[in-house]
Amino acid sequence: MHVFSQELPQQLINGLTLGGVYALIAIGYTMVYGILGMLNFAHGEIYMIGGFTGWWVLHLLSRNHQIVMNSALVICLMIIIAMGMSAFIGVLTERFAYRPLRNAPRINLLLSALGVSIFLQNFVLNYQGAKARTFYVSSLIPKGLQTIHLGPVVVSFMRILVIVLTFLLMGLLTIMIKKTKAGKAMRATAQDLEMATFLGIDVDRIIVLVFIIGSALGGAAGVLVGLLFTQVDYYVGFQAGLKGFTAAVLGGIGSISGAMLGGILLGLSESLAVTFLPSEYKDVVAFAILVIVLIVKPSGLMGEKIPEKV
Amino acid sequence: MQIALGPNRKARIGAYIAAILVFVSLPHIMPNEYWLRIYTVTGLWVMLSLGLNVVAGFAGLFDLSYVAFFGIGGYTFALLSSNQFGIHLPFLIVLPVAAIFTMGIGFALGSTSLRLKGDYLAIVTLAFAEIFKLLLLNLDTPINITGGVNGIYGFDPINIFGLKVSSPIGYSYLVWIFAFIATFSAYRLKKSRYGRGWEALREDELAAEALGVNTTKMKLMAFAIGAFIAGAAGVLSASVQDSVFPNNFDFPQLVIVYCMVILGGLGNIPGVIAGAVLLSILPEFLREYGAYRMMFYGLILIVLMALRPQGLLGGIGFLTKEKKRPDKDESGHLKTSTDLYYGESEVAQIPEKKEQVYSKTDGIILEAKDIIQDFGGVRALNNLSLVVHEREILSIIGPNGAGKTTLFNLISGIYRPTKGMIIFDGREISGLRPHKIVSMGITRTFQNLRLFSKMTVMDNARVGRFCRTSAGPISILFHLKKHRREERETEEKAKEVLGLFGARLTGYRFNQQAIFLSYANRRRLEIARTLMTDARLLLLDEPSAGMNPQETKEITAFVKYLRDTYGYTILLIEHKLNVVRKISDRVIALDYGEKVAEGSYEDVASNKHVIEAYLGRKKDGKKRSSFTI
Repeated sequence: MHVFSQELPQQLINGLTLGGVYALIAIGYTMVYGILGMLNFAHGEIYMIGGFTGWWVLHLLSRNHQIVMNSALVICLMIIIAMGMSAFIGVLTERFAYRPLRNAPRINLLLSALGVSIFLQNFVLNYQGAKARTFYVSSLIPKGLQTIHLGPVVVSFMRILVIVLTFLLMGLLTIMIKKTKAGKAMRATAQDLEMATFLGIDVDRIIVLVFIIGSALGGAAGVLVGLLFTQVDYYVGFQAGLKGFTAAVLGGIGSISGAMLGGILLGLSESLAVTFLPSEYKDVVAFAILVIVLIVKPSGLMGEKIPEKV
Repeated sequence: MQIALGPNRKARIGAYIAAILVFVSLPHIMPNEYWLRIYTVTGLWVMLSLGLNVVAGFAGLFDLSYVAFFGIGGYTFALLSSNQFGIHLPFLIVLPVAAIFTMGIGFALGSTSLRLKGDYLAIVTLAFAEIFKLLLLNLDTPINITGGVNGIYGFDPINIFGLKVSSPIGYSYLVWIFAFIATFSAYRLKKSRYGRGWEALREDELAAEALGVNTTKMKLMAFAIGAFIAGAAGVLSASVQDSVFPNNFDFPQLVIVYCMVILGGLGNIPGVIAGAVLLSILPEFLREYGAYRMMFYGLILIVLMALRPQGLLGGIGFLTKEKKRPDKDESGHLKTSTDLYYGESEVAQIPEKKEQVYSKTDGIILEAKDIIQDFGGVRALNNLSLVVHEREILSIIGPNGAGKTTLFNLISGIYRPTKGMIIFDGREISGLRPHKIVSMGITRTFQNLRLFSKMTVMDNARVGRFCRTSAGPISILFHLKKHRREERETEEKAKEVLGLFGARLTGYRFNQQAIFLSYANRRRLEIARTLMTDARLLLLDEPSAGMNPQETKEITAFVKYLRDTYGYTILLIEHKLNVVRKISDRVIALDYGEKVAEGSYEDVASNKHVIEAYLGRKKDGKKRSSFTI
């Protein structure tokens, strides 16, 4: 009983951290899907590049694994530069791999996305090597705050930081989508791209904006996972991409709030599942959820089912 | 089958002889063992690519579990023909067992995931491939099944009826025999009802289904046939390298096969073979850049999709079917555009009347009872009931948004009614899949034309015959009697039906892609397609939309001719009231999903509700302006 009362809140916190990261990745999938109706296979790689960029920033601002600046500033720089880099790659991808195919059959677009994914993954492999890079984060954490005791539960500083940052980013995005003019244009484009064009919305710019936002959030997720688990390698994007996509489908693809909810639910279910399953099969949980959702309720928790127009 | 080949026969026999000569001599002229091995492995890639081409090229399914099927075949062979479990089955038994087992797994995966739309299918199959890899890596404990990372090695020597295959040359013959079988099968599948069904569903899934193609079954067949070929290739691959490891069946292999298929052009058999050969040999010359290989493959996918989605070899004259120029006549002179439209007179289009003349009877062929159809909060049809009499031409009129096309979608099975039932010929059809309804005898056209635009006129018509033919894969592969008879009948029927439209759809137009037809001819072809299905009830959704007055007159006469001469029952949506007036036995007017009038054209056209629906309600107390319709 004692073990359970300690274990459960611990796993809930872990799940919330993981879920926040999944949610950030899922937003990228869901926004692109909402507007272009395509599965952006390369999104996992965008996330991975964010992680690597974050590592480089930390690496360049450290001497002997000790940071040379204020730690808050370093974390901000890591996240902002990684977001910028990911957004840049995302925009390039859109421009060269997806835009020429806007009216092409769906399978061509998917193949192109697969190509981008393979290319980016192997590009990083060739120039960064196959070895995982380690984030030396200990000097980033303020003294005396390595672990925080919340009643019986022990939480690391990084977890709290990640939870705060993910929710901050999601909040900013929600405000942006709901309140700003660009957000309104985005929602209009997602509903009816052609009509949005007729109403004077520069759809190309909106699509670029969607790639910027989605990729930037993916990049931020990459850095946050790096800070949390202190590792990044060229192959992390594959798994993360699958998880993010699962979260997006679970929440209802195309729905941004659905992606947030789906991410958090997926994170929670995964971390609760590892208490019962051998850890090699941890990833099977996500796939099982994915398959069940797709078969039982393909429109997801918050997605709308729109009948096909004949 | 020989008769049908005609003048191509010599060329084909020549090609076969050349292929056999090359096949026999090539292994012996390889400079060394190393190149012999590459030659053998190339055969495996050819086979794999052809299998993937069935799934991704023919049926257009983005299947990312393909490499797992390759692995399932390999591991099945490894388990049944080695010391792993002490099972030593002969190769000639293991090969079909493994291929059929793989096909079974493909079938199981397909039947759960194929209802999903393109992208979801990709993700589910990707997840399957990942789980398969996890299992291969982890099933060495608690009992050792897959050997984990170490794989399984040391298989029984292959013995085919006393003929031992052990030398590299022996393996190269073995592999290439199967590569040839795969090539041969791919050609036969492509030129069959299956091939046409796949092409139709790839171009327009909904239209294919509404024309009687069981799209779910066809996708499943593609998936299963792909898995079968991959499974067989897995067995051969395992036996060639005398071992299986999890990373033989990993994501990079999948990407390579996809690159081969894309490079050759999805669906293009010689192209795919060339792609496989090229990508098997080319890396050998670029060995020092080996590390960049996968990056290069990624680039191939991006660049080809952007610049040449039909593949490097796609669209090259001698490799594809000869395409007739739509704008030139037989002698090569350019036709003027008016020739294409008005070249034939109204009379020429309609063949001489046969003696049998049909007219409306009182028997009921279709009955709709209290149909309600809701889309979210919008009620598109509200308590609609109607009957269609046998051999009747019944027109549905009503302003835009009245629910006319929704009614067609309900009858043809594209939507399932929220409430109410539809009875055809005494049987309830509401809720049946569209292809089922087609085979019961109802076929429709679409308001905004859904032809298979890259298929020829002839093939468009042939697709309509899908639901009346039933040759299975075995019959198709071996050109059994059933397949031959059905193909012959389909061809005759298509010529007969297209012949109804005179020169518009016949002659050089047989082999013209539907996309090159004029607008009016596309509408005609849509009607021809429905006639191919042996339907009794035709649902024509605005057959004269977009036609000029002359063409409208023709199509009106043609619709009437279909009923009078062949006895079709016709349910017609039409906006041109002239058309409605000329041919309808009865007219039903809809407004806001409700029936506002029913009866003869004169009754309906003078009905107060109908006039209001079209022209708006007059303000109380004021005199209506003097419009009439």
